[in-house]
Amino acid sequence: MTMSPQSTNRLATAASIALEPEDEDSAPKPRRNVSGRLSTHVMDNRTAYVMIAPMVVLLGIFVWWPLLYSFYLSTFEISFYEDPVFVGLQFYGYVLEDPDFWHSIGIGALYVLYTVPVIMIVAFLVASFIRTCGIKLAGLLKTTVYVPTVVSAVITSVVFVFMYRADGGLVNWLIGFVGLGPFAYLSDPNIALPAISVPGIWLAFGITTLIMLAGMYDIPQSYYEAAQLEGANFVQRTWFITIPLMKNVLLYLLVTATIAGMQQFELPLIMTQGGPTNSTMTPNLFIFNQFKDPTPYATSFSLTAALLLFFVLGGVSMLIFRLIRSDKAIDA
Amino acid sequence: MHKRITRLTTVGLAAAAVGILLAGCTPSSGGATTEDGKSKVVFWQQKFEDYQQDWFKAQVAEFNDSQDEVEVELVVVPADTWDQKLKAAQAAGKAPDVKTTSYGNIKPMQANGQIADLTGLMDDGAFDDIAENIAPFVTIEGGVYGYPLLVEPSTVLFYRADLLAAAGIDAPPTTWDELLDDARALTKDGVYGMNIAQTAPDLGWSSWGLQYTAAGDLPLRGDWSEASAVDPAYEDLAKFYQTLYSEKLMPQEATYPYADCSFFGEGKVAMSACGSWALGQISANPDWAGVWENTAVAAFPSIDGDPTQPTSTLGGWTLTVDAKSKVQDGSAEFVQWLLADDTDRLVDFFTATGFSKYPARVSVTEALAATPEAAENAFLATITEDIVPYAKAEPSYPWDVSIAFATSLEKAMRGGDIPAAMNEAQAAIEDVIKKQKLAGTGGD
Amino acid sequence: MKASLGRRIATYALAALIVISTALPLGWMLISGFKGRNEVLRTPFQFFPDVWIWQNYATILQDPAFLQAMAVTFAGALLFTLLSLVVNSVAAYAFARLDFRGKRFWWVFCITPMFIPGMAILLTSYVVVSNLGMLNTLAVLIIPGAASAIQMFFIRQFYLNTPLAIEEAALIDGAGRWRIFWSIFLPQSQGVFVVVGVGSFLAYWNAYVWPILTIQDPGLQQIMQYIATFRSERGNEWGLLMAGSTLAALPTILLVLVFQRYIVNGVRLAGMK
Repeated sequence: MTMSPQSTNRLATAASIALEPEDEDSAPKPRRNVSGRLSTHVMDNRTAYVMIAPMVVLLGIFVWWPLLYSFYLSTFEISFYEDPVFVGLQFYGYVLEDPDFWHSIGIGALYVLYTVPVIMIVAFLVASFIRTCGIKLAGLLKTTVYVPTVVSAVITSVVFVFMYRADGGLVNWLIGFVGLGPFAYLSDPNIALPAISVPGIWLAFGITTLIMLAGMYDIPQSYYEAAQLEGANFVQRTWFITIPLMKNVLLYLLVTATIAGMQQFELPLIMTQGGPTNSTMTPNLFIFNQFKDPTPYATSFSLTAALLLFFVLGGVSMLIFRLIRSDKAIDA
Repeated sequence: MHKRITRLTTVGLAAAAVGILLAGCTPSSGGATTEDGKSKVVFWQQKFEDYQQDWFKAQVAEFNDSQDEVEVELVVVPADTWDQKLKAAQAAGKAPDVKTTSYGNIKPMQANGQIADLTGLMDDGAFDDIAENIAPFVTIEGGVYGYPLLVEPSTVLFYRADLLAAAGIDAPPTTWDELLDDARALTKDGVYGMNIAQTAPDLGWSSWGLQYTAAGDLPLRGDWSEASAVDPAYEDLAKFYQTLYSEKLMPQEATYPYADCSFFGEGKVAMSACGSWALGQISANPDWAGVWENTAVAAFPSIDGDPTQPTSTLGGWTLTVDAKSKVQDGSAEFVQWLLADDTDRLVDFFTATGFSKYPARVSVTEALAATPEAAENAFLATITEDIVPYAKAEPSYPWDVSIAFATSLEKAMRGGDIPAAMNEAQAAIEDVIKKQKLAGTGGD
Repeated sequence: MKASLGRRIATYALAALIVISTALPLGWMLISGFKGRNEVLRTPFQFFPDVWIWQNYATILQDPAFLQAMAVTFAGALLFTLLSLVVNSVAAYAFARLDFRGKRFWWVFCITPMFIPGMAILLTSYVVVSNLGMLNTLAVLIIPGAASAIQMFFIRQFYLNTPLAIEEAALIDGAGRWRIFWSIFLPQSQGVFVVVGVGSFLAYWNAYVWPILTIQDPGLQQIMQYIATFRSERGNEWGLLMAGSTLAALPTILLVLVFQRYIVNGVRLAGMK
């Protein structure tokens, strides 16, 4: 989801977290920090504060303050015209007992179920394949699979809507060769969500492939050669060498893809507006749609639902990152 | 070392300066005064057909030239994100001074104190000219909270005279059963017999008229203290939609939203429910000339053929003045100048619509009828005589109610169990009544 | 070791399959842009147009609103990239190489925003930028997102891995931290800056929801706003829409092709010790 430039291509850059074996801890402790040895005697307080100041100020104004303000506002029935009424945690209760909210969480989870395993498996297979290719071909493939990553969700949505057209759409033409269809993909509650998952997969599998590939390149070739001498086939090599050695990378990708999937928003916004019959109403789209009504109720509900979703997703992701890290520390 | 610091600080300052410069580019907020001392009125116009933008733009320019007190800044806002943008602007205290507002939103906005009572701000005579059937749409307890620009029936039956004739159908359907039979007869050769809304957000408002003809009222009625979605009459309504969709008598894919009558224009359907505004859309598209020649309109059939039953709501647009605006007088002056004074200005507007929208003022209706274009227009009489007089006002309850009911309609339409769907709607509406404290607030 | 012919054919076939299925949506978009009004959704289906027409592309390129949106978005994306590189790299250096009081606190302060979804602060961020008078200016698109936890993290990982010896020598010579950053770290940062910079550029170029809320001056319309609005208002002109989408995606695709060496290796950056 590209909400604002804030959430930059998370998957792409966050690769480093998983691939960085040295600095496991999110908070650099002097003991581990390479520069720490130098700086034990010298504290560069002033210089450091000046250096982090722009970042601290920007994040403070544009992330932390709005977040605190959101929490504050969520305890009111917000009216922008009359005095807001303090209602405490009432809206948290309203959101939690709203079947539509839970339905949207279910849709988000289903979307994750449709996309994440496919992304992981396809990316893994493609990465395994690229690793066996010559340099030139590998270069071509790496660039090719990366290209979808840079295409915006807006353009992807528009193109896939066009491809899915029941009359004269490319997809129906293609599946016509195997004697299926035509389907009205985006108008059938049973297939609309899978249909939206396809562009979701298309957008994400390339960068996942590259990250996996990076992990694979880090595995010493000698392991494979030894295994090959023992007569191990591809499946065995994958199962006994690649997957165990890439456990952290895979876990990391699984978590980020899951969290990104739960927040999917622009594809259904543009492709289906959440329909048909709310079958593509993902949590963030549900929240965004609640902004529509001019009533104070809708504003407060939407705000509170967004905060609750943040608690769940943010909490889960921080927890899992912690688990990955501590696990790693034990390994080391 | 200090030099280095200075250099980097300079970079930082430069970056900040760029920011400030950019921020200074185009300040735009309400309540300000322009450089030459005029008070500035920000006017948000929801984006409609191109000719509307042209008209508003020309009028605003003319208004700004006509006097030295008020400077109106016209901002055209795309329809798809209007609600979210407006809400965000209100949250920031930057709501537009004047904005286009649909009739259905007048009451909820008034209830939250968002819009100003115009009776103290405009000349009294202006309100006497509002047509009798439309005045209640904008009047709440003696106050008038929006000045109407136009009305447009949201459900009109468009049909292809040539295709009906070819299928041996000599008149448009007058009951739902007839409509279904005709649709069956017309569905052939890659053309669907009918088209109607099929997604919940579209059904939410386009089915109000049909809810009226099916059950005589809406699923939230009276003083809004209880939901009536389980009224058995709505099962007929759900069945009607379900039959159209499941028998494949209508497009199976919502390629175009309801408000866009392109299925009909492209010749993919023989009949279509569309808003009256589609007349303007179809006639203006040169690619659709062949369809336009054979286009005819009729009142949408009622469930049992009674032509006096409502089958449409009267949608339409007003201009409202924000309750927090610091320039309410200037805003109201502009609204009065644009909508309540010179009838010629509005006659131009309605002529430009291709008679697909209708005046809300008696004097404008009369002036329009006197124009030669009106006399030539084939559809004007059908709509103003057969549809508008029986059409209902849009409900003023929260959209949550309409969307809950429409979601159930859509579920039924796509093959869901009808009583179960209606029970869901019932529960959802009861929930809205409770949480939004609606009980006892309805009743008009 | 020479691979057998059969194996080589299989390799190329598989490679071709990957390329085709990845490129299909983009290729289809490009081709459909060359189709005329009546051909773009024709039955029976036809993959290539009978006559390749340039008209859609020409029409879009002559639309002043489109050109304006492309130019404004491009300028904004450049400024945004520049600003975020400055802000994030300086902070990254401090967190990687300096020791200071409260480091742990400020680290958590700067890194937690990674986990805060935009939706949770959408409305209140809007209130903040509005109070700062930034609405309807390019600043509202550039400044709020410039500080990025994830970008800073990425650059910091790179700086952590820079050998210590040179920095030590410089410190002993009496060089200040700013000078070390400027003359030792920046020159080495080319690769990581390209990766992070491309990320920023893409995030800006592809942004949709934030611009639609904060920008309504048609002169400042962003390219994704243009495409989405075009789609909702002229939804049946598919040829034009596909041509416009192709042109709007082109800059980002070119960016990848130009910097492909850095990007493909960039993903490895952090993995290399």
